[in-house]
Amino acid sequence: MKKSTFSIPILFCLLFIGGLGSVFAQAFDISSGGLPTITGALGGSVTGSSSTTTNLSVTINFGEVSPKNTNNIVKVVVPIAVRSTSPYKVTATVTGSTNTNPQAIQRTDIGFGANNMHSMGGLLARNCDESPHLFATPFSNDPAGNVMIAANGRVAYLSTLNNVATSTTILSGPELSFLTAARLSNNGYIFNAIFTITPQFYASGTANLTITFTISSGPNVPC
Amino acid sequence: MFKMIKYAAAAAFVTTLFLTAASAQSTTGTVNMSGTVSKFVEINSGGAVTLTGNSGGGITTNGTANNPLAVVINLGELGPSNTNSFVTASVPLKLRSNAAYVMSMVATVTSSGTTSNEILASDIGFGLSAPSRTGVGVNTTGTDTNNTAGDPTLPANGAINATSGRFEFTATRSNLSAFSTSTTALSGSAIMNAVPRSNANGLNVPAIFAVKPQFYENGTTTVAVTFTVTAP
Repeated sequence: MKKSTFSIPILFCLLFIGGLGSVFAQAFDISSGGLPTITGALGGSVTGSSSTTTNLSVTINFGEVSPKNTNNIVKVVVPIAVRSTSPYKVTATVTGSTNTNPQAIQRTDIGFGANNMHSMGGLLARNCDESPHLFATPFSNDPAGNVMIAANGRVAYLSTLNNVATSTTILSGPELSFLTAARLSNNGYIFNAIFTITPQFYASGTANLTITFTISSGPNVPC
Repeated sequence: MFKMIKYAAAAAFVTTLFLTAASAQSTTGTVNMSGTVSKFVEINSGGAVTLTGNSGGGITTNGTANNPLAVVINLGELGPSNTNSFVTASVPLKLRSNAAYVMSMVATVTSSGTTSNEILASDIGFGLSAPSRTGVGVNTTGTDTNNTAGDPTLPANGAINATSGRFEFTATRSNLSAFSTSTTALSGSAIMNAVPRSNANGLNVPAIFAVKPQFYENGTTTVAVTFTVTAP
C-alpha cells in the first residue's frame, strides 16, 4: 500500500479534529492564578483555588473593619490567570453594596488595583515583543501603598471599586498563548488583583459586593 | 509508515487533550467580598486636668489627650481654712463612636468621718459642660443630650440650705449622690464620620467636679468615678 493511501485519511482526521478544536475551544480564558492571600484582617478570610486550571471564584471576607480592627489596612491579593490566542482585554464590573448612608462602606472605600503581570513560564505562554501588556489607568497600583486622607478625613485611594461601577478595561495586550487558550498550566499569564479596605468609623452594618472579571477581544495590537 | 501512524495518533491525542481542556474554559470569573462594621465606642482623656480654688493638693496623675482616662486628683484642704468659694476640677473627656452612644457614670464616696458632717456624695458637685463636636471627621450635625445640670458651680445649681446652713448642690443630677449607681450622664448620635482611628478628633466634654469648703468633720475623703460608654 502506498504511503499516501494512509496519509490522506490521517491528515483529514487531524484537520477534522483540529476543526473541532476551533469550534469548541475559545480564544480567551480566565481562571484562578493561584491561592489568594489576606493580611491585616480581624476575623476575615479569603477562599480560592491554588490551581491555575480552576475557575476564578474567590470569596473575600474582610472581617471587622470598624476601629476594633487596629491594623492600618486589610489587604487581599487575588492572582488571576489569563489566556488568549489573539489580542485581549480584561474588564471588571462591580455590583452590590450601594449603601444609602454615606457614612457606611461605599465602593470608594475599597481600594482596587492590579500589578505583577508575568508569564506562567511554560512553552505555550507567548512572549510578544512589539506590544506590552498594559494595566489601564488608574488601576496600575498597589492600593495599600497609595493610601491618602481626603479633606473630609476619610481614606482615599488612587483607584477603587467605584472606578469599575460599569464594565471597565483594566488590562489589555497582545496574545498571551501559543496555539491554544485552553486551560493549561503553561500557556498564559498571571496578574494580581489587589483589594484593600482601611478600618474606619463606618456606620455599623455589612457590605457585600461582587466583582466580575471578563476577558474578551481587545485592541488589535501586534505581537 | 508505522511511525507516521504513531505521530498522527499522538497529534490526535494532544488535540483531544486541548478539546477536553477547552470544555473547562471560561471568559468570566468572580470575586465576592463582604465586610462587617460593628458598633464601636471609646472614651479617652481629652487633655490635661484643670484644678482651681485648691489649697494644697494638686493633680497626681494628669490626663493626656487621646490616652486612656486614668486621672488622680488631690483636692487639698476642703475645710474653712480654704477661703476659696469652690475647689473645682475640670476633667476633659473625649468620646468617639460610629453609632449612637450612652455615657454613664458611677461614683463611690468614702469619708473617714463618723457623723453626718463628714463629706458626703451630695457635697461633691458634678456636671458636664456643653459637649463640643468639632474637627475634621466629626459628625458635627449630630446632637447630644446632657443629663446633668452643667457646671455645678453655677448659681442656679446650688445654694445654702436656709435651714441647715450647709451648701448643697440642688439641681437635678448636680452632685455625686445621683450617681451612686450607674446613671446616664450624656447620650447622643454617632460622633464620628467614616474616618480612620488615627484621626484624633472626637466629642470633647469637660466633666466638672466641685466642692464648697465648709466646716466638714475632719478626716479624709476618697472619691472614685468611673465613666462607661456603650452603644445600645
